Amino acid sequence: MTADIALYIHLPFCRRKCRYCSFVSYAGREADVPAYLSALIMEIAKCAGGESVGSIYLGGGTPSLLTAVQIGEILATARSCFSVSPAAEISIEANPGTVDEAFLRGIRELGVNRLSLGVQSLNDDELKLLGRIHSAAQAEEALLLARKSGFTNVNLDLIYGLPCQSLEDWQDTLEKALAPAPEHLSLYALSLEPGTPLWQDILAKRVPAIDPDLAADQYELAEDLLAEGGYRHYEISNWARPGFECRHNLVYWYNKPYLGVGVAAHSSLDGRRYANTSNLDDYLAAFFRGVLPEKALEETISPGLRLAETVILGLRLDSGVAADDISDRYHQIVLEMMELGLMESSDGFIRLTRRGRLLSNEVFWRFLPEEQGVVK
Amino acid sequence: MDQSLIRNFCIIAHIDHGKSTLADRLIELTGVLRHEEMSEQVLDNLELERERGITIKAKAVRMNYPAKDGKTYRLNLIDTPGHVDFSYEVSRTLAACEGAILVVDATQGIQAQTLANYYLAMENNLEVIPVINKIDLPASEPDRVLEEIDSVFGYKPEDVLLISAKTGQGVPPLLEEIIHRVPAPKGDRGRPLRALIFDSHYDDYKGVIAYLRVMDGGIVKGDALRLMGQGTELEALEVGYFTPGPIPAAELAAGDVGYIATGLKNIGDCRVGDTVTSLTDGAAAPMVSYIPPKPMVFAGIYSTQGEEYSELREAIEKLRLNDASLTYEPEYSPVLGHGFRCGFLGLLHMDIVRERLEREFQLSLIVTVPAVRFIVTVDGDRQVTVVNPSDFPPPATIVKIEEPWVKISIITPSVFIGGLMEFVIAAGGIYKRTEYLGQYRGGSELGQRVLLEYEVPLRSMLTMFYDNLKSRSRGYASLDYELIGYREARLVKLDVLINNVTVDAFSRIIPPDQAQVVGKAVVDKLKETIPRQLFKVPIQAAVGSRVIARSDISAMRKDVLAKCYGGDITRKRKLLEKQREGKKKMKSIGRVEVPKEVFLEVLKIG
Repeated sequence: MTADIALYIHLPFCRRKCRYCSFVSYAGREADVPAYLSALIMEIAKCAGGESVGSIYLGGGTPSLLTAVQIGEILATARSCFSVSPAAEISIEANPGTVDEAFLRGIRELGVNRLSLGVQSLNDDELKLLGRIHSAAQAEEALLLARKSGFTNVNLDLIYGLPCQSLEDWQDTLEKALAPAPEHLSLYALSLEPGTPLWQDILAKRVPAIDPDLAADQYELAEDLLAEGGYRHYEISNWARPGFECRHNLVYWYNKPYLGVGVAAHSSLDGRRYANTSNLDDYLAAFFRGVLPEKALEETISPGLRLAETVILGLRLDSGVAADDISDRYHQIVLEMMELGLMESSDGFIRLTRRGRLLSNEVFWRFLPEEQGVVK
Repeated sequence: MDQSLIRNFCIIAHIDHGKSTLADRLIELTGVLRHEEMSEQVLDNLELERERGITIKAKAVRMNYPAKDGKTYRLNLIDTPGHVDFSYEVSRTLAACEGAILVVDATQGIQAQTLANYYLAMENNLEVIPVINKIDLPASEPDRVLEEIDSVFGYKPEDVLLISAKTGQGVPPLLEEIIHRVPAPKGDRGRPLRALIFDSHYDDYKGVIAYLRVMDGGIVKGDALRLMGQGTELEALEVGYFTPGPIPAAELAAGDVGYIATGLKNIGDCRVGDTVTSLTDGAAAPMVSYIPPKPMVFAGIYSTQGEEYSELREAIEKLRLNDASLTYEPEYSPVLGHGFRCGFLGLLHMDIVRERLEREFQLSLIVTVPAVRFIVTVDGDRQVTVVNPSDFPPPATIVKIEEPWVKISIITPSVFIGGLMEFVIAAGGIYKRTEYLGQYRGGSELGQRVLLEYEVPLRSMLTMFYDNLKSRSRGYASLDYELIGYREARLVKLDVLINNVTVDAFSRIIPPDQAQVVGKAVVDKLKETIPRQLFKVPIQAAVGSRVIARSDISAMRKDVLAKCYGGDITRKRKLLEKQREGKKKMKSIGRVEVPKEVFLEVLKIG
């Protein structure tokens, strides 16, 4: 009997590329959806070995560009090739500009039980700056439709640290997002990726630069507001009502095994990590030849690196890591970080402090071993 | 060979006036190398020399030239360094020659080092052949330059050759002129050996190779020899000449230029300027008096990674094998750890050493604020020599401070005089004289060319002096300097503190009235260039215990990676690895991670 794994399915299609996005997504390639589906189904069939799957996550791109029928085909394949538990968490990402009630009802009936809405902001100027295809009103409407369609576990993605976004603007978005009482919130600091249109605008000073101190204020404001609202801050960027923590994402943070299928999807299985090619044409071409796509990455994780990663990922969680697990090897680092007020210790666990969460990279890099994972 | 058929000469020029290109052309024309064997500027060995277009070490090449009179002459071309920092090497090279080709750029005219090199040639009684180069360029003004040469050096236009070293135009006639105008050597084959060392380099197999000009007598393989200045005894393990690669020969006789392999392990035992004679029955007096060159500029060199100290030591030792004018001694800095206090001939020399250490030995270095050698008289009339600002005696104990001064010559188009004078005066310069070169013919928007002479403290030249000179003259002004001695000075030590730790690498000795301005400039620059840390970092400038400038770098608040797209843990880890590698390149000072660039930026503040 094989261990539980999580299954990630990447759907790279977008109606339009957002102005901050550097991830693997393709605009204007919707005609390739049928070919992509057949490739995806073939990949699932080839990779699967009857493992039991505790969660499925349909991410993108914009998975909601597919029809409910198409999503049904994917899920049916997954269920026939794996042992998907009836209690499995099945999440889908959706763009508020692409959903209607029929679609939402359709996927709910297929067993999708968690909806993650890419709201990003509830301010139309900010949505325009980000290059989103929807308005604030559409986003709020999408959440109402989700409720109507039977979704009782909904996440909203929001972005803070935007150029021109004041503390008040952010508070306004947060309050509007909290009003319909979503079960889960993911709050991400805007990260400026080189080459993106927004990055170019800021470089050319057409758009003001991001103020990191203001972003820190915004994060702390969110921590306070969400705590008042009864959300548990269970991971650096994630808040949930008790019991609604995202099980799929917890697999990543616990450094447990997962299989990713689709273009650019990452997997972590048996001490190795690999990723499919991020080129859509290469991915499709491979399946026309009946072979698995090329790997863009393949590495063996040494035990030392694995331990470091487990600590780094575990520290992202409010539960932290067991002091016994790390005090020997990382004693010096932990002391130094505690002295700087970035980590704290209680009940036998070591966690990031409030300040440490905002400075987590400064904590994490210190845990990396000198030796590297073998990259082939 | 009959000495009457030998011509020993060098080429002297201001930087970039085409010295190396002319050497290439001569080598090619005399058939030492075929055209296809020529890599551009064959005499410049070091990659760095080629990149900077300057020649650091002198080289020598023997060429056979069948002249129009039907005889075949042996031409020995000795290449000279083209920069003021190396004037000692230049003067030794000149002493090995009877003639010099003085190259002047047809677009630029006489420059500061043209003058300096010309005077050196005169001091050595060389026959000078003035040559105007680059006449193929559209911007060339040979007539104007002819007039300058007439007015400054007194050569009539008919004595000056017009050439293009690049195209070869005018170079064949130059070869004939060398035969006719440069005197043949006049040494005596029968007298005791006297040979001048004008360059040397270290060879892993043969030890120190000394480049020689034989004046009297001769050397054959196996001769027991002695250096008259240093007293070093050695054996000529091999004797030969360059074409330009080394060719072993039976003998070097009076009038010849060539090399001997000495087997010596330390280049410092066989230094440029010394005279070689026979161990027994040697000559009574050397050719020129031997004066070891003295470093004028000092700076600490440290590795950004403390662990690389032994590699740094090894690298400096290796570099010194070929650079006897580089001095070094270990020093310890509370902030930077173990390093070396190095002495250089000048700033260019310092730059070259730093670049070679980084490039050839893959080291990441920090160079402290350069300083001169101060002579400080303290209580009880005791004199101390200070080359490291952090060793400066406490103010209360100081009776007198003396510092080195230099005479500088600047040649500039007259329109820039105002701006240049202003900044030279601000640097503590004392006006000496002005001389207009050539005749003003009007028409040029830049005006006539002018020689300005000032005396300035060498200290003022250590930071941005040269850059200022260039920027205030749109690159037209050229500079030469020579040491004129020590003078009394009123100076204080400015300290810089990061997170309450004095950074000795940033300490500098300056006049008290500049402390405020420089202190503030350093503090502002540090605030701007040091990244925010995990805690608040105070930056202060102080003279003694008095803080004269202060600024705080506020603590960093946010450095967080958010989303984990589809489980791409590897990307996250790579970003963290990159961050760690970045930290590694920094120097930790009082727990503050200081990027290397910060040191370079602070060096620039003058």
